[in-house]
Amino acid sequence: MESNKRKRSKSGFVGLRINEEHERILSKLQETSGLSKTELLLRGLEILSEYYSLEFDKPALSLELRRLEMEALRYAEVIRHIRQKGRALRLVIQELRDIDAIIDKHNADKSRLIQILLDVQKKYGWLPKLSLMWISERLGVPIAQIYTIAEFYKAFSLSPRGRHLIRVCMGTSCKVRGAEAILDRIQRILGIEKGKTTPDGKFTLETVNCLGCCALGPVMTIDGKYYGNLKIRDIDEILSKYD
Amino acid sequence: MVKRINSPEDLEKLRSEIIAKSKAEKHIVSVCVGTGCIALGADETINVLEKEVEKHGLKGKVEIKKVGCVGFCEQGPIIIIYPEEICYLKVKPEDVPEIVSKTLVDGKIVERLVYTDPNTGEKISKLGEIPFYKHQLRLLLANNGRIDPKSIEDYIAVGGYKALAKALFEMKPEEIIEEIKASNLRGRGGAGFPTGIKWETTRNAPGEPKYVIVNCDEGDPGAFMDRALMEGNPHSVLEGLIIGAYAIGAHEGFVYVREEYPMAAEHISIAIKQAEEYGLLGENIMGSNFNFKVTVHRGAGAFVSGESSALMTAIEGKVGEPRPKYIHTAVQGIWNKPSCLNNVKTWACVPLIILRGAEWFRSIGTKGSSGTMIFSLVGKVNNTGLVEVPMGITLRDIIFKIGGGIRGGKKFKAVQTGGPSGGFIPEWLLDTPVDFDELKKVGSMMGSGGMVVMDEDTCMVDAARYFVDFLLEESCGKCVPCREGLKELSRILNNICRGEGKEEDIQLIEDICETMREASLCALGRTAVNPVLTSLKYFREEWDEHIKDKKCRAKVCKALINYYIDPELCQACTLCLRECPVGAIHGDKEHVHWIEQEKCIKCGTCYEVCRFGAVKKISGEPIPPPPKGMKPIRKRGE
Repeated sequence: MESNKRKRSKSGFVGLRINEEHERILSKLQETSGLSKTELLLRGLEILSEYYSLEFDKPALSLELRRLEMEALRYAEVIRHIRQKGRALRLVIQELRDIDAIIDKHNADKSRLIQILLDVQKKYGWLPKLSLMWISERLGVPIAQIYTIAEFYKAFSLSPRGRHLIRVCMGTSCKVRGAEAILDRIQRILGIEKGKTTPDGKFTLETVNCLGCCALGPVMTIDGKYYGNLKIRDIDEILSKYD
Repeated sequence: MVKRINSPEDLEKLRSEIIAKSKAEKHIVSVCVGTGCIALGADETINVLEKEVEKHGLKGKVEIKKVGCVGFCEQGPIIIIYPEEICYLKVKPEDVPEIVSKTLVDGKIVERLVYTDPNTGEKISKLGEIPFYKHQLRLLLANNGRIDPKSIEDYIAVGGYKALAKALFEMKPEEIIEEIKASNLRGRGGAGFPTGIKWETTRNAPGEPKYVIVNCDEGDPGAFMDRALMEGNPHSVLEGLIIGAYAIGAHEGFVYVREEYPMAAEHISIAIKQAEEYGLLGENIMGSNFNFKVTVHRGAGAFVSGESSALMTAIEGKVGEPRPKYIHTAVQGIWNKPSCLNNVKTWACVPLIILRGAEWFRSIGTKGSSGTMIFSLVGKVNNTGLVEVPMGITLRDIIFKIGGGIRGGKKFKAVQTGGPSGGFIPEWLLDTPVDFDELKKVGSMMGSGGMVVMDEDTCMVDAARYFVDFLLEESCGKCVPCREGLKELSRILNNICRGEGKEEDIQLIEDICETMREASLCALGRTAVNPVLTSLKYFREEWDEHIKDKKCRAKVCKALINYYIDPELCQACTLCLRECPVGAIHGDKEHVHWIEQEKCIKCGTCYEVCRFGAVKKISGEPIPPPPKGMKPIRKRGE
């Protein structure tokens, strides 16, 4: 009895139920953020009051927030390998702000959707579902429509790409100069088909319809570096340069 | 601080100032930094060049210019030294010190880097005299070796924006359209529609605002002339676009650049920014009260989006699929407003026509097709690169006179023009002049200008299959004839190449093609039949051989060929044995090698590595039994 009384007065949480675990977390929180639980609670109430005065209903907010939080935590765990929720959300908030910057650069114009997706693709190497949800919300474009665009155009990838992107040109000129044999060789060495990523996440192999440097055919790029006048026997050596 | 140009007089004053500044007696060393030459190390060459110039104290007397694609890609990386026009080919960074000390300091030519005529051995150092360039008429590509594409002042120095001044201040919009009509300029994007009429239709169509668009999607594999023009001289395209906008009455324009051309997108963006700074774009252009702004829109990897209605849908931010054009896009295009879309090369022709007149333009080329056309001459030809020639020149001249004939001394078989929408043209039709209508007559089309040369090692059935598979993947899928037709054609053609073809297949192919040609929603489906039908028409024996004899005379279709090591030529060097990825080759240093057919995956590695030509491909013949235990017949001196 005595110890409980002391605990309560130390933390100052009179009137609010608290158990040992919460106690521990909250004192850590006070340490790191300098905010007390009551200050946090007040902040939460302020946000709620704004929401209510805009005539939103709390369930709607918490539903949206919960959806976003779920995807954010999934993304952080699966892609970034961050399990700790606080860190996960902090990371996601930063990434969403980065995406905001891209959207704002294009004036949040619906007709610039493809350009926005190209910038996000360039930044992350693929289009995470989280980014598509965010873009859908900001531009007011249904997410199904965004998926249609992401699947129609070859430049977009809906799954994470490997560390190194191999693009083999399969244009007409490269084809008559033997591009198909080069592609076969790469597929054989890496053990994957075109469009796929190696299990160890090292290479993603894609084909491209024409890189526009036909005098070098057959040609491929790895991470944007061009390799031209390819011979089947060179492939092993070129690929071994990447780790 | 850049001074805004507020009148044609301002422009001319600036032009004289720039020219006067560069009048100093000095050398200009142009290094091609087009995508192709960069891939071959041009960046490093420039680094060494800058250091060497510094070392020899030539900094004020030598100007190093990074120029766009000069077109002789087979011989890249290329350096051109002005004013002598000395052209150095296949330049490596290690060659640079010699170039600087011998040519720039001593004024002598480095013989080994200069063009050598393959027949006479003659050394030709002057660019204009090299056969590849001599037979061309370079109007659009004229300045590609001379100007830095990132410098608007370079463009102004060679006469840039003079046409715009003339158009804005000396001509009325209707006069400009009449001039373009009189020139008989036809669209360089593929269809060859009369540009003047398209402009007139857009101008007269009801609705505001109007739009003008540059199509730099260049989806045809094997074509890169739009890339070269955009990378090497973006202002020429921009100037044409502004003139067109003024003539049509448009105040907003778009440049659609495909995703695979990052350098082109970068250069046109820089050009737009510079033009705006100088008052040649944006509000009150050159003080004329005409306003016009341009936005760059990048593609994202879809061939069909290069079709005009599809491209406009993509600019709207939606999926770039074509729509039926009962109403032309010139009347209802982007957001249903009148929109005039033209190819990069078409826009680049406009300033030339305005400055030199419609009659001059008509005097070049043929009656039906005026002016020049840029072709990308690629494939099995010796001089791969960009070729600008007057319309009317024969295919034979392009391939043999300019292209230098077939590489490796092989025999010509076919030339494919117009990309996947075009057709194959055989040897006996090589005297066909390049002209919109003439090429259509033989079953192909001009297209965007891609020209892929094929030789005896190209299988014409496999080539048709390649195009069908390509289009099948790129088809948007909206209409049944194209979506289902291509799927069926692909299935049949793949079967034939696998040796499972049947006699009835040919008739079925022809029936499907007829439907596709009549009923497809857009030109992708309608013209998809061209490669198949021309291949059948001109190379019917190869199809019959594939189907009836299970033979591929070009030795390409894997299921119909076998690799075989000729025991009389094999030197038992074990190279192919070691390189074989599946260990299908047996033998050793004392015994002739032989291929175990059941293991062979026909990858072609042994064929590639054998130095004695002992590995052969056979088709339609029985495979000789493996010469186990045979000793090699040693060649003397090996």
